[in-house]
Amino acid sequence: MATRYHPTTAGRGRRFVRFGALTASLALIVASAACGGAGPNGAVSGGEKPIRIGALYPTTGSLALLGEESWRGTAIAVKLRNAAGGINGRKIEVVRANVPDVNAAVAEARRLTSKEGLDFAIGTYSSSLALAASEVFARGGGTYVELGAISAEFNNRGYKSVWRTNPTATSFAEQEVSFISKYVAGALGKDVSKLKVVVVHEDSAYGSSVARSVQEKAAAAGITNVSYAPYSATSTDLSSVVLGLRSSKPDVVIAVSYASDAILLARQMKENGVVVPAFIGTGGGHTLAGFGEALGADANYVFDVDFTQYAVNKTATPGLDEFVAAYKKEYGGSPLSGHSLANFMGAQTVFDILEKTGGDTSAKAFGAAAASFKVKEGTTPTGWGVNFDKTGQNTAASAYVMQWRDGVLETVWPESVATMKPVLAK
Amino acid sequence: MQIFIQTLMAGVLLGGVYALVSVGLNLIFGVVRIINFAHGELVMVAMYMTFWMWQLWGFDPYVSFFIVAPVMFLVGLALQRFIIQPIQGSSSAMKIFVTIGVSIVLQNLALYLWGGQYRSVTTSYTTSVLTVGGVNISVPRLIAFAGGLLLVGLLFFFMQRTLTGKVLRSIAEDRDTARLLGIPVSRFYMFATGLSAVLAGVAGVLLTPFSSAFPLYGAQITLIAFIVVVIGGMGNMVGALVGGILLGAIQTLTGTYIAPGLQQVVLFALFIVVVLVRPQGLFGAGVGTEEVGLK
Repeated sequence: MATRYHPTTAGRGRRFVRFGALTASLALIVASAACGGAGPNGAVSGGEKPIRIGALYPTTGSLALLGEESWRGTAIAVKLRNAAGGINGRKIEVVRANVPDVNAAVAEARRLTSKEGLDFAIGTYSSSLALAASEVFARGGGTYVELGAISAEFNNRGYKSVWRTNPTATSFAEQEVSFISKYVAGALGKDVSKLKVVVVHEDSAYGSSVARSVQEKAAAAGITNVSYAPYSATSTDLSSVVLGLRSSKPDVVIAVSYASDAILLARQMKENGVVVPAFIGTGGGHTLAGFGEALGADANYVFDVDFTQYAVNKTATPGLDEFVAAYKKEYGGSPLSGHSLANFMGAQTVFDILEKTGGDTSAKAFGAAAASFKVKEGTTPTGWGVNFDKTGQNTAASAYVMQWRDGVLETVWPESVATMKPVLAK
Repeated sequence: MQIFIQTLMAGVLLGGVYALVSVGLNLIFGVVRIINFAHGELVMVAMYMTFWMWQLWGFDPYVSFFIVAPVMFLVGLALQRFIIQPIQGSSSAMKIFVTIGVSIVLQNLALYLWGGQYRSVTTSYTTSVLTVGGVNISVPRLIAFAGGLLLVGLLFFFMQRTLTGKVLRSIAEDRDTARLLGIPVSRFYMFATGLSAVLAGVAGVLLTPFSSAFPLYGAQITLIAFIVVVIGGMGNMVGALVGGILLGAIQTLTGTYIAPGLQQVVLFALFIVVVLVRPQGLFGAGVGTEEVGLK
């Protein structure tokens, strides 16, 4: 007997589910594209041609937290400058690119230079992304201004049209070593050469490069007893490191950590009763509001060297309060870290230089204007000055030393920007 | 000696965490025969749920278990019915792609909804320590360890002594014969995935007091869970427990006595050695079960 083929219930069901899933996915993609398109992009006026610059930041993926925070600083700078009339009467139009990893950085940089025809871009928060994207722009004769990444390599590749407004990892290390020799040694009553220093750092490019910079600077300052304890940032347990600290009893610990390992390290140190007189974080996890929130009173007396934060001597950072107010208005909460402030100051500096070139974004015009552009320290929202050296690095920018005190990251050193005096942990 | 015991204790507690996460993965491996790359993301989702209940309503993490567990069960059911079931009969590559896709969607959904910052829960017992004979034992980690043991014990009892457990084991042994006997396999698959998600949820709840929740937490923990499951023996509950503890101990001892930077290296080196020498894992059910999850 011939059997007729007819689709089984299961088969029909499966096809329906597949169709349903397909439609749902498409709807989700369309919806998220619509949502993702929103955000301050800079107004485009109908009259004069706008000044178009690229902005590359990682706003998705593992770097999204501070990538987004960094972008916000730039976004506010654009908004405020456009509201004040733009540059020479022309509005600033930002062409955004999301660069979650190095491949995306290269691809997006290429898209911005060829398809969008841009010759000027800013960014990027992460050093590896900055290196990749700036390479594309610089090789094509364009200009790239970095507002937040700290790897020293950025300005040492021989490109003439690559600039950076923020301090470098070397500057962080310098400041730490300076703080140790000028304050900690005296406060402990010990000679610099007798101080025991342990550098506890996460083992990727970030931690290792800071550790290397510290090694150089410490040797130059006469700090000879320095040992290193690298660890993986994704560890769920840092007992080995903490037990090592417990037995070696250092005077100073320099830590280079991301967010969750900074919290984990501090918690496990507390659990094992390890107290270090001077625990100095190096940006990253130790600066985040989340560190103070998670540890509460246990965060007290932890030092942190980083970009300018918000509890700082306001006479040295004019414009900071206005920035914070604009941030709260736009994003409905306080800034998460000093990254937004650093990018805000950097973007403003870029716009000021473009004002001098009359809106000309070509490498030659910008290069000439930037080389002669000088601003005194203590006159910008971050307190940094502006003075680019031959490699394009702003030498008038430096990191400050902060300390967690009762849930607030207060600036304690140098004295000109401090809100409180530093105190050693007991 | 003091340092050795302290390190060993820390390692065993860490191993408990690994075992906790691996138990659920093992269940879905053994019964549903699928390599669920999104398992870590289920743990991450549970951690976020626990965090938000603490942040918004002040629930103690251990209390939120009673809400997280049923929700995760439903999530597991949905995962099985709408995503895994349609591809149950297709190639192993397809199954891997789909679960990786689910993991990516969950990671980015979490990033979009809750941002990238690390969410920490701070309770009165977050940094509490029990000091026994000069050895410091972190209380939340001890609870997680005890929870892990209890979980494996309960699961073992469930699989051996209850009818549902026996049915699941029979499906794991021979799916086609089970079907011939009239067992509604797809319904039991949904139950198994649901249960696996509940286990992931329990892991998330127990981890929250001492680990920060963030969107990519799942990616880290899934990798380690896989190593534990492979080393312990795929489909073997006790193997996952012992494997987890062993790995935790080896990792921490390496950190103290060799170098902290080599902890991950040792883990993966051990993984390679086990796969080469005894691919079915230390407690595996014998040669021939190495390809569980791929067939």
